[in-house]
Amino acid sequence: MKTRTGLDVFPLSRRTLLTTAATAGVGWAFPLATLAKTEERLMTANGGTDPFPIPWLDKNGSHNQPAGQNLEPSHIYHFKGRVARCSTFTGMGTDNQGNRIGFGSPTTDYGVMQGEYWAARAPQQGTFTHI
Amino acid sequence: MVPANQIHDLHPPIAPSGLYWVVPVPANALTVSADGKMFTLEMQNAPVVDQPRWPALDSVATLARMSVRMVWKSSGELVVYEDASKHFRFAGSHAVCQMEARVEVPSIGFTWESDALETSKCDFAILGEEVNGRYYDMKQL
Repeated sequence: MKTRTGLDVFPLSRRTLLTTAATAGVGWAFPLATLAKTEERLMTANGGTDPFPIPWLDKNGSHNQPAGQNLEPSHIYHFKGRVARCSTFTGMGTDNQGNRIGFGSPTTDYGVMQGEYWAARAPQQGTFTHI
Repeated sequence: MVPANQIHDLHPPIAPSGLYWVVPVPANALTVSADGKMFTLEMQNAPVVDQPRWPALDSVATLARMSVRMVWKSSGELVVYEDASKHFRFAGSHAVCQMEARVEVPSIGFTWESDALETSKCDFAILGEEVNGRYYDMKQL
């Protein structure tokens, strides 16, 4: 069953509303009950809940941050929580053809962040990994 | 620097926000020991792409999956990184980190599995807690 709202009952565009109101001489004379129903359909515009990157890392056109001494471990800005980082991984493995293939390089780095971050004008909780 | 013999490069896509190679994982993907000295990250089939010619701008990205188990163990050597101009403070310790992984690139029928976790090594690792941005300015750490 379709739930009818104030806007469904009074399907007025903004222009139509202004014209009608001027003609009627009643201004914004919506019944309060109609306004309340209208608000139920409105959406917020606070931005997405995805985390922000560290803002100044893009000086080289990139928000990537290597792991290392005195470098900020988190990839997420406005963040507080657990973090772990590592870099310069090396190891070996085998593909499905039986070939031995190594992995890692001086820039092979990983990380994990878990905690609170700020997005959409509110605290959010999340766990993220940089891989 | 990319090795000359690189044949695969697997990572999450860069997000529209610019967030770099970061992917959300379930909260239970990270477990922390009671004393806070060991972090274990386990994730299955994380969505990534394979870009063998990375970092070339026209490097084709093929959908792939990555499963990882990574273990950080604190060395006990305490470390603090703080930069007020960049609004961050990290307090934790140096660590040893090892990992094992499995990757799949289904469209080309490629799979690869690492040797056991104990056989890997890395040259740098840390674990701890960080505050940055608005939380740093609120002095909550």
